[in-house]
Amino acid sequence: MATVVTGDRIHAPGVAPRRSRPGRRLALRNTLIGWTFILPNFVGFALLTLVPVVTLFYMSFTSWNVFGTAPWVGLDNYTRLLSDKSFHTALLNTLYYAVVHIPVTLVASLALALWLNRKMRGVAFFRTVAFFPYITSIVAIAVVWNMLFSPKYGPINQFLGLLGVENGPGWTTSATWSMPAVLIVGTWREMGYYMLLFLAGLQTVPAELHEAARVDGAGPWQRFWNVTIPCLRPTTFFVTVMLTIGSFKVFDLILVMTNGGPGQSTLVLSQYIFQKGFGEFQFGYASAISVVLFLICILVTIFQFLWNKRREA
Amino acid sequence: MKRNTSAAIGLAAVAAMALTACSGGGDDDSTGGGATEAAGPVTLTVSGWSLKTTPEFQTLADAFHAKDPNVTIELKEYDPAQYTTLITADLAAGTAPDIVTQKEVKNVSVFQTGGQLMDVSDVVSKLSKDVNGTSSYEIDGKYYGVPYRQDSWMLFYNKDLFDKAGVAYPDGSWTWDDYAQAARDLTTGLKAAGSDALGTYQHSWQSTLQGFASAQTPDADILSGDFEYFAPYYDRVLKLVADGAQVDQGTITTNTLTYQAQFGKQKAAMMPMGSWYVATLIAQAKSGDADTFSWGFAPAPQLDKSTTGTDKTPVTFGDPTAFAINANIDKDKVAAAKEFLAFAASEEAGQALAKIGITPATTTDAVAQTYFAVDGAPTDDLSKFAWTTHKTNPENPTSSKTAATQTILNDMHTAIMTGSTPVDQAIKDAQDRFKSEVGS
Amino acid sequence: MGVRIAGKTVGVVFLVVAAAAMLLPFFWMVVSSLKHNNDVFTIPVQWLPDPVVWHNYVEIWQRSDMTTWLRNTLLLAVVVTVLQVFTGSFAAYGFARMRFPGRDVLFLAYIGTMAVPWQSYMIPQFVLMSKIHLNDTLWAIVALQAFGAFGVFLMKQYFESVPESLNEAARIDGLSEYGIWRRIMMPLSVPAIASLTLLTFVNTWNDYLGPLIYLRSAQNWTIQLGLKTFISQYDAEYALIMTGSVLSVLPIAVIFMLGQRYFVEGIASTGVKG
Repeated sequence: MATVVTGDRIHAPGVAPRRSRPGRRLALRNTLIGWTFILPNFVGFALLTLVPVVTLFYMSFTSWNVFGTAPWVGLDNYTRLLSDKSFHTALLNTLYYAVVHIPVTLVASLALALWLNRKMRGVAFFRTVAFFPYITSIVAIAVVWNMLFSPKYGPINQFLGLLGVENGPGWTTSATWSMPAVLIVGTWREMGYYMLLFLAGLQTVPAELHEAARVDGAGPWQRFWNVTIPCLRPTTFFVTVMLTIGSFKVFDLILVMTNGGPGQSTLVLSQYIFQKGFGEFQFGYASAISVVLFLICILVTIFQFLWNKRREA
Repeated sequence: MKRNTSAAIGLAAVAAMALTACSGGGDDDSTGGGATEAAGPVTLTVSGWSLKTTPEFQTLADAFHAKDPNVTIELKEYDPAQYTTLITADLAAGTAPDIVTQKEVKNVSVFQTGGQLMDVSDVVSKLSKDVNGTSSYEIDGKYYGVPYRQDSWMLFYNKDLFDKAGVAYPDGSWTWDDYAQAARDLTTGLKAAGSDALGTYQHSWQSTLQGFASAQTPDADILSGDFEYFAPYYDRVLKLVADGAQVDQGTITTNTLTYQAQFGKQKAAMMPMGSWYVATLIAQAKSGDADTFSWGFAPAPQLDKSTTGTDKTPVTFGDPTAFAINANIDKDKVAAAKEFLAFAASEEAGQALAKIGITPATTTDAVAQTYFAVDGAPTDDLSKFAWTTHKTNPENPTSSKTAATQTILNDMHTAIMTGSTPVDQAIKDAQDRFKSEVGS
Repeated sequence: MGVRIAGKTVGVVFLVVAAAAMLLPFFWMVVSSLKHNNDVFTIPVQWLPDPVVWHNYVEIWQRSDMTTWLRNTLLLAVVVTVLQVFTGSFAAYGFARMRFPGRDVLFLAYIGTMAVPWQSYMIPQFVLMSKIHLNDTLWAIVALQAFGAFGVFLMKQYFESVPESLNEAARIDGLSEYGIWRRIMMPLSVPAIASLTLLTFVNTWNDYLGPLIYLRSAQNWTIQLGLKTFISQYDAEYALIMTGSVLSVLPIAVIFMLGQRYFVEGIASTGVKG
């Protein structure tokens, strides 16, 4: 069995079974073929992205300030992180954003995709509308949502007033409510984007399977859980990883909506990296924060990857 | 696995060395003859921003070329909002222009420590005493830039709205408490006259409050880490907001109010703002973006009576803008570049800048005359006094700690102004952050 | 019966309200672009322009170099998209269907680079690009955008949902791996290619920071960079800013409208009983 090399589903890097000689030749041939597939993309990727990123890792052990040399300072940047309260604030805010944003957006975009994955009148229009927030200028989004959130004059609080809520939340002007406000807008903005990815994934669900399940007397919920969800697994994994990375790196939305404020209530890691780098020219320190952000994302991704595999098995 | 890791580190180290190796100007054609005089025609590149609406760069370039036809100034346009990022990238790659305009004082020390700026002390030593703002470019007794522009903050006021409310114009004797009282009187008077304009408008920037507090409080220094002196300024403003005499911070940020529209469309009778707004207001009144009304500017309100009155020198704040020479400039161009720096700070250049409504680094009486001769500029004596007589302290001290400190103070500002944190608590938090993040 | 009609009506009303909520900022963009600058921000909000001002559009068309920007952007978007789709799906096949040592680590490296904020390695990348003389050329943006991990990852996940048995059958029929990629995988992946094309196109079209850093000469500017630079001449002119935004969004909206029909169920009927 082991000599028949077929690329089945991705599997954990581990000890490969010992192979006979022809098997080894075949493995070598497969390696070569595999590399030819990857190479065209990898050349550009390695030179333009991988090299600078690896450089960044090196820089996180230096006190680099862009100009001149980068003196090696060992783990200084990392020990400084441990006692840096602003970093802790940024880290907690980023976790807050990610923990809420990931599941909510995942469910919302999947629901949208399921609902717009059929032949009905106006489906093209609604899909486009759902995608619109993602392509609308982010400045316009920030301006309009801030207006809607305006504590005194905003329609949202006026509506809450009708429902009997006296003194609605201060939203982007309150340290408590600014993050929920950003989360609402973030989810609203990215829903259509992930919906598109789910729509592409839904095309892979064979209609025959649904038919067979229906013949077996499965209801819509059972078909959803037993047919759609398993077939969507690769897509879901992709969306989850992209969402995770996107949430931990959230930057531009916060920059235009609250600029990290009021106080430090919406300061997130990406913004802190920018502040330390281009604001204060502590690029070595900023690199160390980037490495931490990278490690968090990678750990979460690996966890998702393993969980995904276990579900598939 | 092990070998791979070390290889990766090796690669990173090589990459790092390649990237941080002093990237000097690639075209260092110095003949080694020590020739400092520009013999033939020279072209100098100068960084600028928004060239179409910021005519100062072209004005200076043309005036200088007229004076010395041998030198041509070529302007390199940068995005104003991303200026620091772009210039940093260019300097790192060795592709920055010959003359690097210093848009923000807080970055001067960074560029200097990184060895990016040339020592121009010899230029500064020959300048006239009338040039304002040179101290912002001094590091360890040497100068690394020459200012050509020095804005300072004043109090703009709408005479029509004052008349409507029946309140007396500012006379140069105001402290902040007088200003606050006037704002309240104006609001009441305007309401009685059937107008919904408010007494004053204070924009949401930290500068509009902190700049004054740091400049006017004796011995105040943001780098001391002692921020108690901000408290009275915040208490006063919060009371003004509570009394309805000015718009609250939350409304400004959530409705993206612009100060140009607030004052230009007569939504407020007064506004503390930098002198650059004079040219903007004149232009907007012409284009119809602002209403046409009678206005002037007074000296900034003072902390106490010791600096008020037209026989004293009022204290205000403002950061200069300067030209600095790229340390990697071609040696043949140095002489011409220094000549340009000296020219940009001169009275002659000041005249040329005043003609287009810019506040130059040199504000002699002759320059003032040119400035107030501009069509649409106010003509009253108090405006002239406010423009020519003031002690302008820099908002940003020239230090490597300034940027980090201003970030902390900005967070404090938003926390206080939105009402998220009480004044004393916010100041205490900022002081704690200063201790742990900036150190003394 | 009546209940069903009522339910349908409620559904339609809900749809319309939801669509309005999605479109509100865009609507405000259009309205603001038809106002005088100092009328954009008022309390309370004016949801209709009064008077309607067209001069923002006239100004941008007359005084900016729109045709050059559009040409550059279109060129970039097309080249980047083609390269991204081609090299991305090619590499994705290697990751999804071939087995070789180091594959998973390499793939993790791909994903890892996505987890690093661009602003933290922007300067090293800029210096590198400068050393290979790509700065201030359109190639810089192509190099920056075309070889990302995004396309590889997306296509790999999609390829993995294609039944393995198809590959087996094709191998037995004597197809090489390249043949399988070209004749089986790609045709079956039309929805994924469509979404990758669409998203790459949108990202390239909307990218502002990349062009801002790398494209310094006006003849190389893209639409986002050109518009923003043109507008930033005028300090805080929101009416113009929104005019620019409307102009840059419209082409994308049209492309999306045309492209979304590739997501119709049944297109990927594999003919294989799973």
